[in-house]
Amino acid sequence: MIKFENVNYNHPDGTNALNDINLEIPENSITAIVGNNGAGKTTLVKHINGLLKPTTGTVRIKNEDTRKSSVAELSRNVGMVFQNANHQLFADTVKNEILFGLNNFRFNEEFIKERYDFVIELFKLKKYESISPLKLSGGEKKRVCLASVLAWNPEILILDEPTVGQDELQKTVLLEFINQLHINKKTVIVISHDIEFLWRLQPNIVTMSGGNIVEIGNSEKIFRNEELMNKVGIIPPQIIKIFEGIGIKDEMPLSLEDSCTVIKNLRNS
Amino acid sequence: MQFIANGFIYRKSNSIIHKLDPRVKLLISIQLFTLALLVSDLYNLLIIFVAISIFSLLAKITQRLLRTMIFAAGFSMLILIINYFAGYSLIYSVQIALRFISIVCSTSLFFLVTSPDELEYVLRWFRLPRDLVFAFVTSVRFVPVILMDTLQIMDAQKSRGLELEKGNPIKRIKKFVPILVPLIINEVIRSGELAEAMESRGYGISKKPTSLYSLKLANYDMIVIVITIISFSSIILLGY
Repeated sequence: MIKFENVNYNHPDGTNALNDINLEIPENSITAIVGNNGAGKTTLVKHINGLLKPTTGTVRIKNEDTRKSSVAELSRNVGMVFQNANHQLFADTVKNEILFGLNNFRFNEEFIKERYDFVIELFKLKKYESISPLKLSGGEKKRVCLASVLAWNPEILILDEPTVGQDELQKTVLLEFINQLHINKKTVIVISHDIEFLWRLQPNIVTMSGGNIVEIGNSEKIFRNEELMNKVGIIPPQIIKIFEGIGIKDEMPLSLEDSCTVIKNLRNS
Repeated sequence: MQFIANGFIYRKSNSIIHKLDPRVKLLISIQLFTLALLVSDLYNLLIIFVAISIFSLLAKITQRLLRTMIFAAGFSMLILIINYFAGYSLIYSVQIALRFISIVCSTSLFFLVTSPDELEYVLRWFRLPRDLVFAFVTSVRFVPVILMDTLQIMDAQKSRGLELEKGNPIKRIKKFVPILVPLIINEVIRSGELAEAMESRGYGISKKPTSLYSLKLANYDMIVIVITIISFSSIILLGY
């Protein structure tokens, strides 16, 4: 469990970025953090792997205070994929990029080989393994970043804007991949402005604004709350707008395919 | 790193110094810089420090200038030690070290109170080539951006288990490769994109483009110029 207790965080220049945050993220859950720009989403998640330490209050991972551990120690269990892939990639080959974390954490050769083979297949990167990651397209670079973090099998995975620069096909792959992680008992935290993607993912939602947590709840509860959506500067998913617009409020489909089925059924009845 | 960098980055403010014409700010900075180079005893160096302090108080940048001083103090300690072990007296070594801090602070003062836009006007006023001015001002303007990039890259690599603080000095230097490679590549990509964006907005079509703004000295600026020139000349004429 990830637990924020009365967490405040001030930037070095004194500006307040997080204000009295109390939050519990259970193990084996998918949580999305949403809010307008500057709401404090990235600042919040940087506390989970110790990149930032709270000015006051406590952040605990499995009851361990993050202040007592280094970023490297925490990162062993908390993998974080950053928004900008170009901020991460540096190695001469995709293979070395993926091995970077595995070598830093000093895993044994057998484990490294096993995990490398697993992620290279999972992200369909085999054909790129001996070329520079910097020569890949935006979507491929993102996959290399994901592979390089998932390689050491962290228990908690934080994805900062994972759908940016991804086409619809890749988004679907990512969606299935996150669900697969959930099945494999991982805790996944997603920061995203891609509301359509989140509606299909159906995570628990934490809404933030101005460094505060505004509301926590399931996707349906949050995204159907128009007042809340306006408050945190988010436009609800199109499916909700369409179905509510035509007066259907009980059965809210998750995907376009589901929407077609619901509309067909309505026509038939 | 952010702590030190903030000692060199401009921030908007409403102080009387910020409101000065950028040419006047440059004049003050050059005068302080020149004096720091010319004076040779501790007493006079102290006067320069007092002048810098008054200037920073009026500009409300004392805290940030202190960061510059802390940055310069590290190097000046090195200068002091080298001079002392090279056979110079302790007093002389201290003077050289303090002179270095004064030079850095007088330069920093100008950049702390002058926006990149103002800097551009000043350089254009000197009739320097437009491309040169643009390249210089853009590099100054991008300092905070590059700093942010560096911090984000460091965060990304630390999250993959990179421990910059551990190991002997050679190992530590090697650990900066994962920071420097993405940083350089990002900046090269950014400069290419910037060049394309500038060209697509007509940069380079005209050799003498028009400008909405022009520099004009106010009465207030004239008074400051007279005061600073009199002070500077008096110190020089009195043999500092």
